[in-house]
Amino acid sequence: MDDHKSEDQHLVAAAQHILKALAASKAVSDDLRKTLLDFDIHLSAMSIVERSIKQLERKIKFAEGKIMTWKAKNSMIWDCGSKESSEYLEAVSEIQAAVHNLQSLNEHDKELLGRANGILQVAMAKLEEELVHILVKHKQYLEPESFANEAGSVDLVNPALIPDLKSIANVMFGSKYHQEFCQTFISSRRDALDEFFVVLEIERFSNENVMKMEGNCLNREIKKWIRAVKIVFQVYLVAEKRLCKQILGDFNDSVYQFCFAEITLSFVLKLLNFGEAVAMGNRSPEKLFCFLDIYEVLENLAVYVDILFFEEFGSFVRDEFHKLLNKFGEASKFTFLAFKNAIANDPSKARFPGGGVHHLTKYVMNFIKTLAEYGEALNLLLADETPADPEGNDDDDSHPLAGEFWSVAATLESNLISKSKLYKDVALQHVFMMNNIHYMVQKAKSSELSLVFGDRWLRRHVAKFRDNARSYERVTWGPILSILKQENAELNCTSSKENLKKKCKDFNASFSETYRSQTGWYIPDTELREDVQISISQKVAHAYRQFTGRYSSTIDEKWKKHTVDDIENYVLDLFVGSPKSLHYFSSSAQILKRDKSV
Amino acid sequence: MPATTENNHNQGSFLGRISIRRNQVMSMSMDGSHDTECEEMELFQRHVAERFAELLSCTDEPEAFMSIGWLRKLLDEFLCCEAEFKAVLLMGRDPFQIAKPPLDKLLPELLDRIIKSLDVCNAVSLGIDSLRNIQRLAEIVLSALDQTLIGDGQVRRAKKALSALLSAMLHEDKDGGITKGTERSRSFGRRGNKDKDRSAAAPFRSLSWTMPKNWSAAKQIHAMSSNLAAPRGNESSGLALPVFIMNTVLVFVLWTLVAALPCQERNGLGTHFQMPRNLSWAQPITALQERISEEWKKKEKKGTVGLLEEMQKMEKIAQWLLDFADSFQFPAEADKLEEVKAQVEELADICRKMEEGLEPLQLQIREVFHRVVRTRTEFLHVLDQAAKLNIPAS
Repeated sequence: MDDHKSEDQHLVAAAQHILKALAASKAVSDDLRKTLLDFDIHLSAMSIVERSIKQLERKIKFAEGKIMTWKAKNSMIWDCGSKESSEYLEAVSEIQAAVHNLQSLNEHDKELLGRANGILQVAMAKLEEELVHILVKHKQYLEPESFANEAGSVDLVNPALIPDLKSIANVMFGSKYHQEFCQTFISSRRDALDEFFVVLEIERFSNENVMKMEGNCLNREIKKWIRAVKIVFQVYLVAEKRLCKQILGDFNDSVYQFCFAEITLSFVLKLLNFGEAVAMGNRSPEKLFCFLDIYEVLENLAVYVDILFFEEFGSFVRDEFHKLLNKFGEASKFTFLAFKNAIANDPSKARFPGGGVHHLTKYVMNFIKTLAEYGEALNLLLADETPADPEGNDDDDSHPLAGEFWSVAATLESNLISKSKLYKDVALQHVFMMNNIHYMVQKAKSSELSLVFGDRWLRRHVAKFRDNARSYERVTWGPILSILKQENAELNCTSSKENLKKKCKDFNASFSETYRSQTGWYIPDTELREDVQISISQKVAHAYRQFTGRYSSTIDEKWKKHTVDDIENYVLDLFVGSPKSLHYFSSSAQILKRDKSV
Repeated sequence: MPATTENNHNQGSFLGRISIRRNQVMSMSMDGSHDTECEEMELFQRHVAERFAELLSCTDEPEAFMSIGWLRKLLDEFLCCEAEFKAVLLMGRDPFQIAKPPLDKLLPELLDRIIKSLDVCNAVSLGIDSLRNIQRLAEIVLSALDQTLIGDGQVRRAKKALSALLSAMLHEDKDGGITKGTERSRSFGRRGNKDKDRSAAAPFRSLSWTMPKNWSAAKQIHAMSSNLAAPRGNESSGLALPVFIMNTVLVFVLWTLVAALPCQERNGLGTHFQMPRNLSWAQPITALQERISEEWKKKEKKGTVGLLEEMQKMEKIAQWLLDFADSFQFPAEADKLEEVKAQVEELADICRKMEEGLEPLQLQIREVFHRVVRTRTEFLHVLDQAAKLNIPAS
């Protein structure tokens, strides 16, 4: 080849030498001289082109050899070491350059150009295969658990191969085969993402299916989904974008952004679709926690989403994400309201036996206890809608959620009052309210809720149940105590003995009746029960002692049915929830009627 | 490659129409709410008829029948109908009227259809993704053949893309997510298995479907269209009628989308609907439906599916170009090259339409999704209110 080249060169050089010599000769006319010099210039140009074309032809042939050899083989270039791959890429570069040069030369050797393009196409097709091969072989699989710990430092493709991928990209882009590169790259990465979804155990559900899911099944799927969403946005997609940038960052920014968007968009939408279906589900109060869970997660992820998809290519995803976030915010608000309404509208049809703590009270207090754990999310959602507290509990130091929780408590109280009115016995109404408000206070004192409810509310409600206790006492024991009371004026009354006998009889009857009905009442909290009992005991036993003591001379032993100790002991039977009766009346007259107040 | 996003152009048109209509109604009758109601319903029927009549008469670019532009118009009209429907049923109305018979049964049915329609929206949206993939392949063909000098290299390049393109078009429905397994190299181990690497054609295969495995668009449409009966007798003049109209429009629009765009399992898509013959508002829809059914039956027999005008055209061009590529010998004759140029130009035109129209179409479908969800929520809320008012005070 070199001989050929130098032969040509010598010939042309020789010709040019002769031409120049001739032109310089005085024997030549001016016209002829001009012609000769023109010819010389032509020769120069032609030889350059010829030389170039010959050169190119040789280069093409050399590169062709390499490229065609690999076409025939079944194996992969990049499996055979970096020498092979760099040689191949060099060959491709040669062809690329040849094509470029041939195109810019005025004399189009169409055949040669066609040949070069043909070889280039073969190389591009091979590089496509290589690209797929590298991406698949050097995919890195990580367990979702480890993902959680390595946020930001995850490599989805073995980093050692990035330079190779870049080289292939550069060569393919340089040859104007960037479309094939991107298509292949996007397709391969989509596959990887699809597989990851399988690892995350994300199944494909239709909207219908999701909406039919109930209870445990739904909760399980939501849990999986929350986990998936976190990993995908915080780790996987961040890594994917970085990968795109590493490989395609040398080109216009829009290239890697476009690829990232094409890879991820439809998967992200699929992921969000599950959320859409959940948000459409029924809005019973129990769902509130699941809505809040999702709301919290989405709220935390919003910043990742905004960063990942801040370009125009990703605006659709960003919008959909924020729409979904808002939907869960709405759903949470709505469900919370439904919860409050459910409390307000809880039917009061049957009397709650024994006047103890109603299950509505337990349900509500336990519900809001769990709700308090979502403090942050609720804050965001309900900030604008906190009702003013009619009881004037609020002040500047109140917890942001205080208003809502006070409102819930007030709604509950209101409903309980309606329930209490079902009791005919006013005393029982008070016991019922006392029990329930006491329960509310006990729950409200617990760690999470105490911060929300605040001291003032607690103090007020302690006062409330104590008021109820006192009212109860007044209603039940007032009349009984007044029996035992003796006005001074009556001390010297001539009918005092009859009076006293009557008093004893009345006392016994009242006490017995009270005992009979109120042993069936129930104060669940032992401390509260004791407090009430002690209070009663102190007053009644004291009054009884005084009464029997003062009139001991007049009072016949037969009239007295109890000792003071008896009274004190009987009081301890009250509010235990097991009805008892005092059998000291003759049986025939005392068929005990059903306690009307229970 | 980067697509331009278009803003949602729906808002102007239908909001404008709504406000005009409201004003018309208000000015026409100030007294007699019953009259107003009749007016509203009359207007609703007339508007539906007008809208679909317009769609029927669309023959020219860029909204040729069953083109991307036409589908966008279709969805636009749907959103208008939907908004009007909501206005007719909800605005200024006592919740009780919605909750009493026959709406107590008809409304929940509509809401149920809405849930079903969401899956169709999702499936069709995925179909648009696969169309975009086809567009990219077509663009490679353009890059290869839109040259003055066409040699072996360009032709082979075009041929590769053309085969993948045609394969994607023809197999999209049948293979769907089922043969995925054999084609793909799922390497779950630490290292990929070299032997399972895909062939060069693989990167161009159709995108995987991601609807649930046994989900079928055809079945879904069928389920939606069953029990769709026109109100009779007394009911035909009450609120049952607009509900029936809305149901019909919903089913028709989704059916059309499924017929036009690729989506999972369209085989067996029903072509016969019990459309009311005598109702004036239904005539344009019936005519459209008949026309689409005709086309569908023709295509199904031929073995190719999908009625989107751009796809139909592209298929023909791709086939022609592939034949050209198969019989190509360098150098090609001048007049042959002229023909190639013409085909390529047409292909470029289609790609341009797809580039401009696919993303807005997808956005519109998403808009439909969100709107009907919102409608459903609103109706549920109203029905809930009505139910609560029925409960005796506790």
